[in-house]
Amino acid sequence: MKKQFLMATTIAVFGTAAAADEIRVLNWQGYGTDLDWAVGAFAQASGHTVVHEYFNSEQEMLTKLRTNPGAYDVVLINAAFTPQAQEEGLIGPIDVTLIENLSDVPPDIAGNPDLNAGGALHGVPWTWGLTSFAVNTGEFDQTPDSIEVFWDKAHEGKVSIRDDALEAVQFAAIATGQDINNISDLDAVQAKLAELMPQIKTYWGSENDWNQFMAAGDLDVATFWSGSASRSMAAGLPVQFVVPKEGAIGWLDGLSIPTSSTKKEAAHQFIDWMIDPEFYVKWAADGAPASANAKAAAALPDEAFNKRILGDPEVVARVQFQRPVSEENRKKYLELWQGLKAAQ
Amino acid sequence: MSNVLANQERLKIFGLLSPAYLWLTVAIFLPLSAMLYFSFLSDVPFGDAEWTYTANNYRAFFQTSTYATLLWKSLKLGLMVTCISLLVGFPCAYVLAKAIKGRSREALFLLVILPFWSNSLVRIFSWAIVLRGNGVLELGLNAILPFEVDVNLMFTTPAIVIGLVHSYLPYVILTSYLALQAIDDNLIDAARSMGANKLTILWRIILPLSLPGLLAGAVLIFVPVVGSFMEPRILGGRVGTYFGTVIEDQFVAVFNWPLGAALSFILLAVVLLILAVASPVLKRAQT
Amino acid sequence: MSGRFLTLLGKTWLGLILFFLYAPIIVMAFMSFNASQYYQLPFEFSLKWYQDLAGNDEIIAAATRSVLIALVTTVIATILGTAASVALFRFEFRGKRFLQVMLFPPIAIPWLITGTAMLIFFFGVGLGRGTPSVIIGHVALALPYVIVVVSARLATFDATLEEAARSLGADAWTVTRRVTLPWISSGVIAGALFAFAVSFDQFVVSYFLSEPGDSTLPVLIYTSIRKGFTPEINAISTIIIVVSMAVMLFAARFSNFGGER
Repeated sequence: MKKQFLMATTIAVFGTAAAADEIRVLNWQGYGTDLDWAVGAFAQASGHTVVHEYFNSEQEMLTKLRTNPGAYDVVLINAAFTPQAQEEGLIGPIDVTLIENLSDVPPDIAGNPDLNAGGALHGVPWTWGLTSFAVNTGEFDQTPDSIEVFWDKAHEGKVSIRDDALEAVQFAAIATGQDINNISDLDAVQAKLAELMPQIKTYWGSENDWNQFMAAGDLDVATFWSGSASRSMAAGLPVQFVVPKEGAIGWLDGLSIPTSSTKKEAAHQFIDWMIDPEFYVKWAADGAPASANAKAAAALPDEAFNKRILGDPEVVARVQFQRPVSEENRKKYLELWQGLKAAQ
Repeated sequence: MSNVLANQERLKIFGLLSPAYLWLTVAIFLPLSAMLYFSFLSDVPFGDAEWTYTANNYRAFFQTSTYATLLWKSLKLGLMVTCISLLVGFPCAYVLAKAIKGRSREALFLLVILPFWSNSLVRIFSWAIVLRGNGVLELGLNAILPFEVDVNLMFTTPAIVIGLVHSYLPYVILTSYLALQAIDDNLIDAARSMGANKLTILWRIILPLSLPGLLAGAVLIFVPVVGSFMEPRILGGRVGTYFGTVIEDQFVAVFNWPLGAALSFILLAVVLLILAVASPVLKRAQT
Repeated sequence: MSGRFLTLLGKTWLGLILFFLYAPIIVMAFMSFNASQYYQLPFEFSLKWYQDLAGNDEIIAAATRSVLIALVTTVIATILGTAASVALFRFEFRGKRFLQVMLFPPIAIPWLITGTAMLIFFFGVGLGRGTPSVIIGHVALALPYVIVVVSARLATFDATLEEAARSLGADAWTVTRRVTLPWISSGVIAGALFAFAVSFDQFVVSYFLSEPGDSTLPVLIYTSIRKGFTPEINAISTIIIVVSMAVMLFAARFSNFGGER
């Protein structure tokens, strides 16, 4: 109720916004912004309608921004890609005065160097999460605490990782005790992955794949994203998300506004609604990544996945957050991964 | 006079061909030419990306053994799927064309294509449900057989082959059917009355006369299977890395379009070369 | 006796192959009545997915759009493709071989690449996105299939039939209408069915060229794969197959293609 009042005043302040706009959001499918009730509540409060378009990889998102200037008003960008988008002039600085909820985002997140590429905030911190792994609880008496479970012969042919070069390499970097953003011993990574290959049943490509493989009993242990894991657990799959003692990959997603957007005010309003605690708590009930908004995170019930696991400071201490990857490294990782796959 | 006729004929040819080929030019040949051009660039020239002319994308194919190995693997897969589809599909087409008469034939003919009025991804996922451990195939076999069997074909090469044969079988059935149906039954009767046995009739009359259909079917299968990526990826799991999946990665995951384009044109060149080498051999077989 | 036995064997084989062709379709239909969201067995009957589907305007709109686009594509591709096949069959001219070879690139190069190429080119020439662009792309992808299938039928055409008709005084139009077209009709129908299948399953072109919010069924399926699609997709696919089957069998009942030989 209070929220709607706030929105109403915001609209009153910006006279032009009174005209209903249609804003276009570029995001992964089913990733928060396109929830029917959320879009509906936004339309009711602000008068703006929301249309979605989806991408299937970060590279695709960048290409869409480059080739369709003016087509999008809000875009979700992983912080590791924000500097690139900023440098190419694809996204513009955020007007922080228009995002009221930003004051509830902890300064260490709001001050993230990647989101603040070019010396100004270019992506409003929205959600964060981990890339770690989950186990099929039916196959384990005790939840493993080490990443070495992937190399355990007892689970041969029951293991899966995502078919993604960067993720595979960073995963092996963690297993070999290296810094994921500065891998000094790539040969060790390659050897570790080569050793992993015979253990693998299949690669997974999407949350959907993952759930089906687990439900069919094809897998004992597989890498997974924390937000997806919380969704799978909420849907009743017998899985448990693990942050092993070796650590996990962390990522931070921000919402940005393309330079070419013609509806920047409506876009700011939408982003403000997206980091609002009221939106987040409802979203998290069905499974969501962790919110960047401290107030939203605190508003979760105590037994909530994101509060229980990602809210634990000891867990967070083990997380290595992804930084931008150079073109050169990206290419090297891909060659390594393709070579390993082709050898199968 | 003959000049006028020739002109008229030219006009007719032009009138019949130009709509289709103009369409193809605008929507396929020109875009693919643009792609060919990209394959010689260091980066896609969008925005202010910097790029130079280079042959590196083609050189990449030869720099590691990865691509050549995978292309060879894909060609073998294409050959296997084509042969199986021909062996399985031709008898079907024969029965359809010669042993079944009247309306039921038309109905059956339609039934062969109908499964393909559905989404290929949904079909492939359905195969996964059939082939996986504790899946439909295993449950079905155990219901019929007196002993327990363990069938888990999922994530194996046979699974890929089954999925691909399923996807492309209708092509060979239909093209063979169209050719077989055109063979005059009187010709077969005449040969029989002159004492030719069944094998001779098959070998000397039916096969040669239906060869155009068989070949069209074979080409329609072999060519796309070599570049296929969806069936291998989903049904093959760990063993499902092929040339097509690597190209897909370049376009979808990595967005290195120049390299992906270069790999596609290498694929096209190899496939055309194979067809060029095969066509005189097959022509001779026909006569 | 052996002839009869062979016929029986042949028919059994045909039956087995039809079963093989329909196996995934049957599974697809079964799963639309299965309660598990993750396609788990054992089977548990539920109409849940059909109920959900009825309330899912997005899927229904996408499916309708897909069918309409596929119909338009089929009509255009079949007419243009048949005309081209007839010309390629009937006339000898310079460059014919080249035109035939040019049909291979669209088939050989994965659709993904062709679709991306189209995207770049259409943007370059300012054609932009929208349903017309999607249809242009679909027709182009379906054309080679129509031409190859119709040509396969034409290759068996006996030119003396046309000559005979002409010698009996029929003009060119009559010959085409009364002799040529009836002969190739089964090829044309097969080509049309393929064109429909190509368009109806086409993902890449629609994905790149349709306006946001105007997605087709394949686009919806592919983009929802990240989060997971529910058996609602099976439900709509089942409905489409069943309706097409009814329409086709009805049409076959009252048509006479394929000839009574």
